[in-house]
Amino acid sequence: MIQWMTLLQKELLEMWRNFKWIWMPISFILIGVQKPITTYYMPQIIDSLGGLPEGAVLKIPTPTAREVIMQGLGEYTSLGALIIVLSTMGIIAAERKSGVAAMILVKPVSFTSFVTSKWAGGVLLMWLSFFIGCLTTWYYTGLLFDWVPFGEFLQAYFFYALWFTFILTVSVFFSSMLRTSGTAGFISLAVVIIVSIVSSTLSRWLEWSPAQLTSYANEILLDKGVSEYLLPAGLLAGVCIIILLALSVMIFRKKELAA
Amino acid sequence: MDALAQYAPILLPIVIIQLILLIVSIIDLVRIEKTNGPKWLWAIIILFVNIIGPILYFVIGRRNN
Repeated sequence: MIQWMTLLQKELLEMWRNFKWIWMPISFILIGVQKPITTYYMPQIIDSLGGLPEGAVLKIPTPTAREVIMQGLGEYTSLGALIIVLSTMGIIAAERKSGVAAMILVKPVSFTSFVTSKWAGGVLLMWLSFFIGCLTTWYYTGLLFDWVPFGEFLQAYFFYALWFTFILTVSVFFSSMLRTSGTAGFISLAVVIIVSIVSSTLSRWLEWSPAQLTSYANEILLDKGVSEYLLPAGLLAGVCIIILLALSVMIFRKKELAA
Repeated sequence: MDALAQYAPILLPIVIIQLILLIVSIIDLVRIEKTNGPKWLWAIIILFVNIIGPILYFVIGRRNN
């Protein structure tokens, strides 16, 4: 356990040296802040782009605060997923390429603790920066529109973060399987996109799919109550994360012993 | 001027955050020994591609071999 903590500390230090602790939160903030501000200033934006022709009446219904915060969090499902994959695709592949992995594994460090400490570092970074980003979305929505209850916001945040943890684990899995970080990132993005497209088109049959977690979180935000499929979807996401992590440890061990 | 004063409290934090990202990436670009691709190209990308430029630099540009 002490060894695992040391590995985690080393991982966090490395993230600091790679400036991940700076650019991840900042990019999440910038993604999250866009929606409330552009929605609020929409009339001024239309004016500054030349305005509407004389006589045209364009009625844009002012969205409620809950809708704004939901759309704001929705931005994360595309851009946020991209950032998460970009930041974790090299987490193991790059270390193996540069030889750092071999250097660490010469010491009596188990493969399991090597992979899981890296994964835990990534998860910690993602949850914190996503929280900061969500908090700015919530704060700006409250400032410009209306305050959404913090408890509901926290619940929605948690389920979004659970889905992102799934994405991150997929990325770690392919990073341990493939040699180059670029292909790992590309394939994990493809997998995540396929999973979310399939589960949104077949949403009636795939209610338990982890990709549906975000739409259940949106329902909480819109005050429609908690979906009965939230628990199965959350549990399945947890099980998938554990299985993927175990598989990536196995594959990594096999590859390192062969090399 | 009035309009500017009205928007400043809302937009200023975002501008500051964006500047932090830009400054950190420029400082790192100056201090780093070797980047993935020509250094001057990264300088242009960071300075002229808003927000995405510095992020791209951190993800792709500084690959320490």
